[in-house]
Amino acid sequence: MPLRKVLIANRGEIALRIHRACQEMGIATVAVHSTVDATAMHVRLADESVCIGPPPARDSYLNMAAILSAAAITGADAIHPGYGFLSENADFAEMVEAHQLTFIGPTPGHIRMMGDKIAAKDAMRRLGVPLVPGSLGALATFEEARIVAAEVMYPVLIKAAAGGGGRGMKVARAESKLEDAWRLARAEAKAAFGNDEVYLEKYLDRPRHIELQVLADTHGNVVHFGERDCSLQRRHQKLVEEAGSPVLGPADRDALGAQVTRALRELGYRNAGTLEFLWQDGQFAFIEMNTRLQVEHPVTEMVCGIDLVKEQLRVAAGEPLGYDQSDIRFHGHAIECRITAEDPESFAPSPGRVGTYHAPGGLGVRVDSALYSGYVVPPHYDSLIAKLVVHGGTRAEAIARLRRSLAEMVVDGIATTLPLHRAIVEDAEFQAGDYTIHWLERFVAGRQGG
Amino acid sequence: MSGGLLFDPATIRALAEILRDTELTEIELVDKESRIRLARQLPAPVIAPAAALPPMAWAPAPAAPGAAPIGVPPAAQVPDDEHPGLVTSPMVGVAYLSPEPGQAAYVSLGARVEQGQTVLLIEAMKTFNQIKAPRAGTVTRILIESGAPVEYGAPLLIIE
Repeated sequence: MPLRKVLIANRGEIALRIHRACQEMGIATVAVHSTVDATAMHVRLADESVCIGPPPARDSYLNMAAILSAAAITGADAIHPGYGFLSENADFAEMVEAHQLTFIGPTPGHIRMMGDKIAAKDAMRRLGVPLVPGSLGALATFEEARIVAAEVMYPVLIKAAAGGGGRGMKVARAESKLEDAWRLARAEAKAAFGNDEVYLEKYLDRPRHIELQVLADTHGNVVHFGERDCSLQRRHQKLVEEAGSPVLGPADRDALGAQVTRALRELGYRNAGTLEFLWQDGQFAFIEMNTRLQVEHPVTEMVCGIDLVKEQLRVAAGEPLGYDQSDIRFHGHAIECRITAEDPESFAPSPGRVGTYHAPGGLGVRVDSALYSGYVVPPHYDSLIAKLVVHGGTRAEAIARLRRSLAEMVVDGIATTLPLHRAIVEDAEFQAGDYTIHWLERFVAGRQGG
Repeated sequence: MSGGLLFDPATIRALAEILRDTELTEIELVDKESRIRLARQLPAPVIAPAAALPPMAWAPAPAAPGAAPIGVPPAAQVPDDEHPGLVTSPMVGVAYLSPEPGQAAYVSLGARVEQGQTVLLIEAMKTFNQIKAPRAGTVTRILIESGAPVEYGAPLLIIE
C-alpha cells in the first residue's frame, strides 16, 4: 500500500532528512513542531505543519496524544519517528498501529524486546549471535553477581536492563569492589529508569564499538549494509563515525553479516535496525540493538550508494527489497563528524542565533543540517546541529577531504565543536585508525590539560 | 470575521508587486485605525483547510495576475495573534462551537462569559475537552468555524 502522507515525528536535521526522502518519492509530508521550532527549515519546507505544543519535549515531541491528533487532522497515513524521542517507544508504535496508521519502523514487539537489554541478549543468544560473556539474564542477588563475576573474570560491568546507550553501568575491577558497584548500579537504575533490574558482563578494557546496519522487508528478506566504527565517543556520545571500520576487512564483515542476517530472518524483524558490538582481539560481542534509524546512517549510505530512509519508506509500504546481499557493494570509505552547538573545550551548550552559515561542498561532501543563517538554535533539545559526511575512494582520501571541508565550514554566532573535529583529523592515531572507545576522552583530556 | 478590506484593491496589488519585485517577505502598514500585513508565504498551510477557509489560515489571495501567492489576514483590526484577549488552543484537535451538532453554540459574538465558563470543545483522540474562558469578559471575535482542525496555539476567540 503506497504511503500518501507521512507525519514526521521529530525535529532538526533528521526531520529534514525524512522530508527530503518523502519529497523525492512524491509522498506528502506533515511537520509537527513545538512553538520554538515554528521557523525550522523542515517546517517551512513540509507540505503541512502542525504546532503540537510548547518547547519542552515532554509537551511536544514526546506528546503522543498531540502527535496522533495531528495525524488525524491532517489525514496522514504513516508516521516516521526519526531517532530519539518516540522512535524506540513500543507503546507509541502500538498506538500508531491501533490508529490504523503505518509506523515506519519495526514491530512494537521487537522494539519492546530490544528495549529490554536482557531480553535482547537472550534473543541474540538463542539466535547464535556472539555475546559478551556474562550473566544469563537479570541478577537476582548479589551472591549470583559474585558467582558470575568469578566465572567471566574481572573486571566486570553491572548494567541496567532498562538502560542502554551507555547509561546505567558500573565497573567493578575486583571482587572487593563488586558490592559497591552492585548497590550503586541498582540504585541509579531505579532512579533513572524506574527499574532496578541489572545484569553482569565482562568488562572489555580496550574495545572498539562496531555496529552493523540491517534492513528487512515484510517478505522475509534481510540484508546488511556493512559496519560502522563508532569508537570515537565522549561520555557514550558518538562524535565521529566511519564506514567501514579501519580494522575490519571484507571477510570479517561478511562473516558477521551472515550470522546477523540469519538471526534477524529467524526473528522476523522488519524495517531498519542496527546491532551494536564491542570488538576486541578479533572477537565481536553483541551489546544491544537499536530498532530505528541511527544518526550516523549517512556513512553507510555513502559507501553503499543507498538511501536508507527511502528504503524504510518502501518497506513500510509493503514493498519487497528487490535486491539481495550479493547486490550490495561497498565502495570507498566515509567519515561523519557530528557538529554540536557546544563549546569545543568545555562542552558547555551554546544555543543562540547563527550568524554566517557556510556549508562546505565539492565532490564527496555531504552536510545533513537544518541550519541556515539567522537560525536560532533553541536550548531545549540536544545540541546536534550538523553532520558533515565525506566519502573518498580510500580512507586516506576521505581524511584529506574531511580536513579540507572542515576548514571550509563556517558556523558563526554560536560555539560549535568544529575546532575539536579539526584537531581530531590532524591526530596521527586517528589517521592511523588506531583508537578504541576510550581514545576520544583521553584526547579531550589531553587538550584540556594543556 | 467581519467587514471588507479598508484598503483599496489597487493598494494591495501595489504592495504585492513590491513584495514580488524585492527581497522582502513581509510588508506591514499601520495607521491610526487599521493595519494591513502582506506576507510572502513559503508553501505550508498551517492545517488542512475546512470547506470554508478558516479566516486565520494562510491562503492564496485573489491577487493581481502574476503576483506571487500571498496571504492576507482579515484586515482592519489589531492582528489577532497579538490581541491581549486572545484565547489560544492548548492542544491539537478539532474544535466545536456547540456541545453537539444542532445544539446552540456555547457562546456567540457579544456574549458575556465568566472565568472558567466553557466556551468551546476540542476533540482529540475521541475525547472531548472543554475549553474554558481564562478570564471574564465579552466575546468580541470568534476566529474558527465549528469543526475546524486546530493546532497548539491556534487562535480560537477573543474575550475582552
